[in-house]
Amino acid sequence: MATEFKFDKEDEKFFGSVGSFGVPKFDNEMHGGVPRGFTMIAFTDTGSGSELFAKQFVSPAEESENTLYISTNEGQAEIVRIFQKYSWPLDINVRTIGEEYNSNVLEKELLASRYRLEGFRLEDIQRLAQTRFVDDVTQDYLTEVTNEVMALGPYFRAVIDSLDFFLQREDPARVVAMVRMLQAHAQLYRGLILISVSTDGLSPLIKQELASIADMVLSFQVRTIGTDFETSMIVSKFRNAPENLKILVFRVTPEEGITPETVERIA
Amino acid sequence: MNMFDLDQGIADQLTEVSLNSAVQVRCGNSNAFMVTASTMIPLLQMFEMSGVYISASRGAAEVIKGFEAIGVDVSHIQFIDLVSSGILGGTTVPYSNIHFVDSPIMLESVLLRTLYILKTTDSERNFIFLDSVNSLAIYNEDRMLAEYLHTFINTFRQQEVLTVILNVPDQTPPLVLSNLDLYCTDLIDRGQVVIH
Amino acid sequence: MQPAGQYSRDRCITGVHGLDEILRGGIPYGSTVLASGTCGSGKTTLGMEFLVRGADSGEACAHFTATEPSVKLLENIRQFKFFDVKMVDSGLINVFDMDVLYSWLGLEKSSFDLDDVHSLIKAIVDIVNTIGVTRLVIDSVTTLCYKIKSEQLIRDFLFTLGKKLATLGCTTILIAEITSATENAHWSSFGVEEAIADGIIVLGDVERMGHLLRFLQVVKMRGTSHSRAKHAIELTPLGVMLTPMLKWGAVSDTHNRWGA
Repeated sequence: MATEFKFDKEDEKFFGSVGSFGVPKFDNEMHGGVPRGFTMIAFTDTGSGSELFAKQFVSPAEESENTLYISTNEGQAEIVRIFQKYSWPLDINVRTIGEEYNSNVLEKELLASRYRLEGFRLEDIQRLAQTRFVDDVTQDYLTEVTNEVMALGPYFRAVIDSLDFFLQREDPARVVAMVRMLQAHAQLYRGLILISVSTDGLSPLIKQELASIADMVLSFQVRTIGTDFETSMIVSKFRNAPENLKILVFRVTPEEGITPETVERIA
Repeated sequence: MNMFDLDQGIADQLTEVSLNSAVQVRCGNSNAFMVTASTMIPLLQMFEMSGVYISASRGAAEVIKGFEAIGVDVSHIQFIDLVSSGILGGTTVPYSNIHFVDSPIMLESVLLRTLYILKTTDSERNFIFLDSVNSLAIYNEDRMLAEYLHTFINTFRQQEVLTVILNVPDQTPPLVLSNLDLYCTDLIDRGQVVIH
Repeated sequence: MQPAGQYSRDRCITGVHGLDEILRGGIPYGSTVLASGTCGSGKTTLGMEFLVRGADSGEACAHFTATEPSVKLLENIRQFKFFDVKMVDSGLINVFDMDVLYSWLGLEKSSFDLDDVHSLIKAIVDIVNTIGVTRLVIDSVTTLCYKIKSEQLIRDFLFTLGKKLATLGCTTILIAEITSATENAHWSSFGVEEAIADGIIVLGDVERMGHLLRFLQVVKMRGTSHSRAKHAIELTPLGVMLTPMLKWGAVSDTHNRWGA
């Protein structure tokens, strides 16, 4: 039997049964927002605005200490700049895995190739003779991220942008298992999770697996119309509310960020 | 106070030996400790030597207590105890000058341990007291023990360390005994015991 | 030029009590010697003493450890009465953790290819050359070779390493682990180490009436005559001490030593 978590009555009243997407018009289209406990998978095209949507999704930050934004591509500075630009709260938890990976792993790989090609200098040897332990840079980011999200309390809000980083480095079965764990955690704690994954090179099998785990599936697409780009998001799965399946064309405004314009119903 | 009279003849005989001598000291069952004490006391007190006492007959702690009982200070003698490791709890002793070897069959270890002790001592005049060949004979095969005594005696003679080997002849295999007679340079024979 | 029969190679005096006598003066300079033995037979202690004795006479020494952390090794080395911590502080004794070296070279992987092997040789030779190491211990070559999957590559690795170290005048002890099962068949785990090495020193145990006596035996040493007899050893604070093993007691007294 599944574990049951007792929620505080006041919290239930405060948080309500749905949370905001951070995009008011989108909330309206989805009949109030995203049901608490939902895990959303966003399949994204390059340049479709999904990174901005991911940030916008954490911007409601009902409890900033219970809100986590994990980026595998952007650095802290870039994220702060965007949050400042739209006046979104800056006190949420942000983890920039890509930045960490670059500074740990890539730097180390660069140094290793220097040692292998040019050899050791005297000062390198002296340092080597005094180094007793291997720096723990071979981090298991997948486990770390899973644990970090799992550590969030009731009504948390988390974004992983994007899953590509893990799919490229880990066994896809492990990544899928991680998403499954996060989905269960979100369900139990009435949390909200948005996970983005690029459609470029994504195996149909993994895509299918992720879509089946998710409570809501979004697709961010971009196409050219004449000399313009048109960006849209497609809600292709919304658990227990097929009426929410829609195609929304959106634009980006300096005030509100992503803003849906027209709506096409697909179900 | 001595519980028995020391054998002055042993001390007299010891004045005749040199550092590279190997002395076989024969004793009987009942006079072993008297002969041991009569040998050790002149070495310690008359010749002011340091040394290593290899105890294969009894635990070293018991030997020390025996010497203490007759007022002989052996605290600066190093003991190699081949007996106590075979007894559970036997190595828990209040003496810091005892080294334990697992078993009397580890003859080479005894030799090496003795060499180690000699290397760490400051004294230039040293003796080795092996107590006793007949005890080693209980555990070791005749040919091996004879070979060992050959190596043992020659090693210490070469190093100018006086070797004193205690032996109860009627408990020692003939092969070992004849070899001992051959390798040792001197004999102190107290094997014919007269019980008063 | 010396007349035939009078030439003798310069020796690296190991300083190990008794070993130099067995080797008629020491290990010929620049040799690569395999010190193989079962667990607990005293291989690491022998290697450490070889280095400390070298440092004691002012030689620069290096130790690559793959079997135990250098922290432990440096702690164990203190048991030697002739060890002085200044030997480490002044750079005469240099202890390197193999896992740190692997990490620095990006070799944190389960198997090495040719390129990796060459990188490793280059790194070791670099270290030896840069700090003028004349005594080197690799503990153990078995652990290291486990990462090299092909026998040919192991051969190349050991041969190239040995050749380069010899050119630099470095006398090397490669410690090899052998199991009791392989003890009688080989003097190394992979079989190729013993063919490449200039010398082989075997360490092991002889069982006598239920007790294990450590022994050391020089099986092969190019460039010198030597005793091939088994020698009993004791590990003491004065280092490894040797004495010829009793001829009547040099063979284990059971055919199947583990009683199986």
